Amino acid sequence: MSVSDLRLFEMRRPADLPDVCAVLAERVSRSEPTVLLAGGTDWLVEQETRPAFAKEAALPLVLDVSRLPALRGITLDGDRLRIGAAATYLDMRRDPAVLARAPMLERMGRDIGAIQIQARGTLGGNLATASPAADGVTALAAYDATLVVHSVRGERRIPFASLQTAYKRSTRAADEVIVAVEIDLPPAGSPWIWRKVGTRRAQSISKVALAGVAVREGDRLTRLGLGMASVAPVTALLSRVRTLATSRPLRDLTAADIDAAVDADVSPIDDIRSTRDYRAHCARSVVRAFLRDLGAPV
Amino acid sequence: MATSPPSTHSVGVSVPRTDGTAKVTGSARYIDDLPGMPGEIFGRTLRSTVPRGVLRGIRLDPSFDWSDVTVVEARDIPVNAILMISEEQPVLAEGKILHAYEPVALIACPDRLKLDRAARAITLDIEPLPAILDIDTALAGKDVIWGEDNVFKRYLITKGRGDAEGRAASEAGIDAALAACDVVVSGRYETHHQEQLYIEPQGFVAFWDDAGVHVTGSLQCPYYVHKVLKRALDLSSERVHVTQAVTGGGFGGKEEYPSIIALHAALLARKSRRPVRMIYDRTEDIEATTKRHPAIVEITTGCDRDGTLRALKARILMDGGAYMTLTPVVLSRGTLHAAGAYRWQDAFIESVAVATNTPPNGAFRGFGAPQTIWAIERHMDRIARAIGKDPVALRAQNLLRSGDTTATGQTLGLSVGGHACLEAALAESGYHEKRAAGPAVNGRVARGIGASVFMHGAGFTGSGERMLKGKVAIDLLPGGRLQIRTASTDIGQGTETVFRQIAADAAGIPVTHVDFAVPSTTVVPDSGPTVASRTVMVVGAIVEGASREIAERVLAEQAAGGGSFTEAGDRLLSREREVSCLKVYEPPSFIQWDDTTYKGDAYPCFAWACDIAEVEVDLDTFEVTVKNFWSATDVGKAIHPVMCKGQIEGGTLQAIGWALCEEVVWKEGLIKNPRMTNYIIPTSLDAPPFHTTLIEEPWPYGPGGGAKGIGELPMDGGAPALAAAIEHATGLIADSLPMTPERLHTLARTA
Ligand SMILES: Cc1cc2nc3c(=O)[nH]c(=O)nc-3n(C[C@H](O)[C@H](O)[C@H](O)COP(=O)(O)OP(=O)(O)OC[C@H]3O[C@@H](n4cnc5c(N)ncnc54)[C@H](O)[C@@H]3O)c2cc1C
Repeated sequence: MSVSDLRLFEMRRPADLPDVCAVLAERVSRSEPTVLLAGGTDWLVEQETRPAFAKEAALPLVLDVSRLPALRGITLDGDRLRIGAAATYLDMRRDPAVLARAPMLERMGRDIGAIQIQARGTLGGNLATASPAADGVTALAAYDATLVVHSVRGERRIPFASLQTAYKRSTRAADEVIVAVEIDLPPAGSPWIWRKVGTRRAQSISKVALAGVAVREGDRLTRLGLGMASVAPVTALLSRVRTLATSRPLRDLTAADIDAAVDADVSPIDDIRSTRDYRAHCARSVVRAFLRDLGAPV
Repeated sequence: MATSPPSTHSVGVSVPRTDGTAKVTGSARYIDDLPGMPGEIFGRTLRSTVPRGVLRGIRLDPSFDWSDVTVVEARDIPVNAILMISEEQPVLAEGKILHAYEPVALIACPDRLKLDRAARAITLDIEPLPAILDIDTALAGKDVIWGEDNVFKRYLITKGRGDAEGRAASEAGIDAALAACDVVVSGRYETHHQEQLYIEPQGFVAFWDDAGVHVTGSLQCPYYVHKVLKRALDLSSERVHVTQAVTGGGFGGKEEYPSIIALHAALLARKSRRPVRMIYDRTEDIEATTKRHPAIVEITTGCDRDGTLRALKARILMDGGAYMTLTPVVLSRGTLHAAGAYRWQDAFIESVAVATNTPPNGAFRGFGAPQTIWAIERHMDRIARAIGKDPVALRAQNLLRSGDTTATGQTLGLSVGGHACLEAALAESGYHEKRAAGPAVNGRVARGIGASVFMHGAGFTGSGERMLKGKVAIDLLPGGRLQIRTASTDIGQGTETVFRQIAADAAGIPVTHVDFAVPSTTVVPDSGPTVASRTVMVVGAIVEGASREIAERVLAEQAAGGGSFTEAGDRLLSREREVSCLKVYEPPSFIQWDDTTYKGDAYPCFAWACDIAEVEVDLDTFEVTVKNFWSATDVGKAIHPVMCKGQIEGGTLQAIGWALCEEVVWKEGLIKNPRMTNYIIPTSLDAPPFHTTLIEEPWPYGPGGGAKGIGELPMDGGAPALAAAIEHATGLIADSLPMTPERLHTLARTA
């Protein structure tokens, strides 16, 4: 595709969040094509692969939300971190609160595309595209983050566990704008992991990625959050692994039990990027490595 | 960065690239940057979606408005043939379809959005047939798609006891020689497709006027395009004008294919009577254009218990794809490099290239040699394992020296730098200490080191240069300047800078006083193609000779009439109007080659190298990180050391990609990953620190004091060095490429 193949669209930069919600609600009710544009790093790629030139009654409307103050900014309030949906990965990488309290997000941000993508891409876009390979979503899964969405009906909060329904489908309604994500942080200094197994060291889509945060008291995990990319139709929450690892002292965990839990939690496939067998193997290896670091004898 | 010296000694100095500023600032105009011509329309190709079939017809939707759409079908082409080695490849398919993405019809329209709709208003009526998709099926010959047995070409090289009357007796001879050896080792090695992935996709603009047809585009070899256009359009030479636009990389991928896209654009322009622009997007470029030939190489060798190599028997199979294109030449170079850089008393090397229903494979840096060098280098490691010897010691013991003969019976004389390269790379890398210490395992990560040694023939094979008679012209310009006219193109590798350096030194003038004419067949002579590591060594030599001749005439004028070089040159010019020298390449007379027996001097000389790779392998995920890469290369003479090292590092990175992550994913003859997001080449972050040493064993017939060709060589040794390093780190023995984590994982499970 070249820029000259880009289909025509209309673009607006709404003044504030209510304005976005109003326009969106109206257009969605009339089934008119509408796009919220943040960094554009997913949307532009979709323009190339979309079925070409379907006859459209109206031009698609693109609403630029990237500069809306309500969607920007990263704030720490006690143990609650709020990241605006239009904050970029680079914003996160540079934010003192993220660096101090959610270093896993900073580490994840470094693995997104390359610096150019990090300077544009946002968590809001990553969540809305909802690819099972999305790295940001995977990290948020491990933090059991809450989505804050807005529409003409007002604000709604969606806990991560009830967000994803099927491949690229979620419980967010078509007229709901993602405003922010909120994370209840573990204590500073808590152990975490971000391990992306990609196709190369930059500009790489995860073959498998593991995000993990834990709180350890003595030989027990009192909190364990996990997310895994590219091993299921949606971001895997690894609930059996979570249950297993928090149900007994770390010293009682065995490699066989962990592997069995991982196997039950994931359903990887063969695709052009990798194979089912390799993904399953990596899934087991990276989970074991995290639990080993936490003190399990595996 | 070094700067251009005011002196007349520019060879050996890394002067600023003459194309550098324009490329860095973005003012260089690649083909799609050229502004549209008045009336220009955009062209597009309709292609087969099946790998094999019968083309029943092409149907145009009668309800579509075709008034401003030009459609070209096979019947619109004066001669429906692409003239390369043979003429069997049609410009547009007629009757039969032999590969997916085969061009069937061409369309053009002023409105690009309408062009897209027009493409969907055309139905290609193709009845699919069962396809031949791999070498084994092609060889089995149950179904025939080419000639009588699907075989494009065979070669046989024989030496010593492998050299008898006829193939059967030769094979019996080599088998007897092998049987007499202390240690016999056999192996089978495989390599896969590789896409060139030059950063600029293919593109051309074509128009016609009273002078004939004009095409401008991204290309390596202007006269190849010229030849193809002339034949298919049935024109005389003077009516075909081919011009190179600034070209964003080629790596061999712009050797054959530009002829096809240029011809397509010219056909649309001819029928529409409008200028036509055709630019491929990345997907079409990956799907339709040529790739590196996959190969299977079976090797059996015999050696003494101490490792002295005696006998080599090799069988090379290559997949040529659906049409012959340049396959016989690729197979030839692969066959000639199959014996590696080693001494063999007895040899029997046979090779076969077959036809399959996949897009034609073609030129790619290394041109067949990386495939066979992968095999022989992996085999050397296998022998070392069998006799319990250090793989580098085995190589050193058998590495060719001056006075030795190669498998074709070529006695090596001058500029034989293999041992110097090996010693330099070993010393720089600390190979022996690291190897002796064993793989360094740190947690779940293992570090290992491995080496490869190789040589690559510079210039055309055998009598190629003698038959080709490459030419350049040097003109004296006002102001004491010279102009180089050559068809050797700069495709990013630095030709125009290096040629200027060579000409400047030969004439004794500053490098800034040399101009480089835009390569257009209307003004430059046929220097031969920009391929085969021949540009600097072969064409550079005649640039040097012709520049010297012009300078001598100016100096004679100066001696007779006084004044400066510039004044004398201007006087000469005003008197003679035109002061030019057209020089034809003449290879050194002692180079003798017999094309029927495949014996003699396969190449005028070889460039040599030793690669050493240090890797870390994650024992959980099998991800391989290249930590360091040492390369010592005998280049003869480095005209421009920075660009020379650039060639070595870039070529090595391409080898790293081929070895570790690049993979064309096929499904029923179709490519599943025709995008940069899923055809994975290394990024700058994947590039290791390179430690590159230039060794200069001058080749007296090369320019600038002895330069040899090194464009392709760096592609040869990376993969086997990496495989050896992975083996050192993990014990995993990979004989097939690519060594992706998935494949290493499978190896580990089955080990
Ligand atoms: C070269 C390249 C490399 C990449 N590498 C990675 C990678 O390593 N890992 C990874 O996970 N992703 C990667 N991506 C994908 C992409 O960058 C991320 O998904 C990014 O987070 C998308 O954010 P964006 O702001 O650019 O989204 P946009 O393209 O602006 O939007 C994407 C979608 O989200 C919707 N949207 C945006 N904001 C909101 C909102 N506030 N509320 C509701 N809907 C919204 C849009 O309407 C659109 O449908 C890569 C992309 C490219 C082009």
